[in-house]
Amino acid sequence: MNNASFLAVAPEVILLAGALLVIISAVMLEHSRKEWGFIAGLSFVVAMVLSVLQWRAVDTLIAEGNDLLFFSARNLPVLRLPMVVMDHYSAFAGFVLFAVGLLGLGAAWRLVERLGSRGAEFVTLVLLSVAGLHMMTMSANIIVMFLGLETASISFYVLAGFTRERPESDEAAVKYFLLGSLASAIFVYGAALLFASTGSTSFYGAGGMKNFFVTTILGEPGVLLLGIGFVIVGLAFKVSAAPFHQWAPDVYQGAPTGAVGLMAAGVKVAGFVALGRILIGALPSQIDDWAPILAIIAGLSMIIGVVLAAVQTDVKRLLAYSGVSHAGYIMMAFVAGVDGIGPMLFYVTVYAVTLVGAFAIVGVVSRHSSGGSPIEDWSGLSRRSPEMAWSMLILLLAMGGIPFTAGFVAKLSSFTAAASADYLWLTILALLTTVVGLYVYFRIAATMFLNAPDEDAPAIEAPTPARMTIAAVVVTVVVLGVDPWPLLDLVREALPL
Amino acid sequence: MTVTIGWYMSLAAVLFAIGAAGVLTRRNALVMFMSVELMLNSVNLTFIAAAKELGLVEGQVAALFVMVVAAAEVTIGLAILVAVFRRRASANVDELSELKG
Repeated sequence: MNNASFLAVAPEVILLAGALLVIISAVMLEHSRKEWGFIAGLSFVVAMVLSVLQWRAVDTLIAEGNDLLFFSARNLPVLRLPMVVMDHYSAFAGFVLFAVGLLGLGAAWRLVERLGSRGAEFVTLVLLSVAGLHMMTMSANIIVMFLGLETASISFYVLAGFTRERPESDEAAVKYFLLGSLASAIFVYGAALLFASTGSTSFYGAGGMKNFFVTTILGEPGVLLLGIGFVIVGLAFKVSAAPFHQWAPDVYQGAPTGAVGLMAAGVKVAGFVALGRILIGALPSQIDDWAPILAIIAGLSMIIGVVLAAVQTDVKRLLAYSGVSHAGYIMMAFVAGVDGIGPMLFYVTVYAVTLVGAFAIVGVVSRHSSGGSPIEDWSGLSRRSPEMAWSMLILLLAMGGIPFTAGFVAKLSSFTAAASADYLWLTILALLTTVVGLYVYFRIAATMFLNAPDEDAPAIEAPTPARMTIAAVVVTVVVLGVDPWPLLDLVREALPL
Repeated sequence: MTVTIGWYMSLAAVLFAIGAAGVLTRRNALVMFMSVELMLNSVNLTFIAAAKELGLVEGQVAALFVMVVAAAEVTIGLAILVAVFRRRASANVDELSELKG
């Protein structure tokens, strides 16, 4: 053990310690909600700082010509495989995930207060799930990735059903659980087939998948192809790409609104980053096999997401279907291989932040802590709460990809990546669906600004944590839209090893 | 006749397909969940067969991890299913239809 190998897992250690402290403080102290918020917030902030330190440490390790960025159980001879890896890629993903966790917790804070003593469990699950998500992004071994995926997923199943006194919440939990565990099983079967065909569960290292393809050409590539396919399908389920998206609208609508933003955004970041780790980190030589699969999934997601979003009458379901189309836009960057990593990271960062903000606003506007948010609730919002209406408008513009918001830069870089990889049909499809998507977002905007408010509509009151989350998101989206260059430079460096 | 790795892999693939078909066609949440467990067991069989063939211990370790994860999933899954069953006195997923649009 040296300092670098502790630093690699330090964010997880901090988050798990935070989770334990929250439980302990809930048992030891009465009325300790402020303490939970303080502990959880501090854990996220420290984890973000540690991500920055990780990025710096990787710089020094590379400058020293040190290639020991992998960490394994060295004292156990049979397990001398890389288990986790610390590189710019995982450090960047970690920073985004911890920021999303912090923002999501801010958005959920009103829910935590309403839950009373059960709120501590909610905060704990949020911390655990983010730790799991980050474990997915820093895994150098597909089994570690699976463990991270399950840590996050199992926490999310519980979060989806957390307001169990409402029937739609436990319905969402059952649907998420059944389809989520199906997706996990598909993913891990793909992992088993990858192991069977390459002889390793690790991505890197001497016997790892990456080196295997440098030295070996498979006689019968069928098993490998199936393995890649299953892994892609499993992760596509988790990021709700079409045709594996059916769970998303129901879960988004039924789950407690405070938790949805974090669940949706976090799983998208970690899912896509993990996909990049497997496909571009470990299997870059097989790009001719997996790029067409991703292109088809991406194309289907764009069409299905946009078309079904256009007919929704519930804002939460609409955001779910729009998420399906965004999954398509993110996935299309992958067809450019390693050149697509930068655009993918940029897009997924921008989208995750936007989504957390949008669900924070949904949580403020909708009348219940879980259940749907019918579009009628939004009519005349500009007169009931101008700041919420304008914030939502900016986020909708960002999702639609209007210039001077971060969404425009994200779409532009992702589309360019696909076009430069000669996937012209995909780029044209993406442009067409973007235009249709504008209709979807303008429909909400028109309801907010043009319709008269209901007479019996309750007053909008935004608690301070949600307000801070929304403000932070809006500022980020606008700043990144006006001056995206620093982040673009950063993601260009953040490649998987 | 010797039983080669191909047989084990095929058996696992068949089990996986049966499990997947069960999740997609059955309407009882408990049976769907049992089908997922069947899929996870076919994964274990694949891992073990490949580990034996390749002479690597990794696959056996992986199978242990999959078992642990399956156990964790059972704990949470049954809790969720019991919560639903208490409210509705039915585990039929077709009756879970409040969320649609």
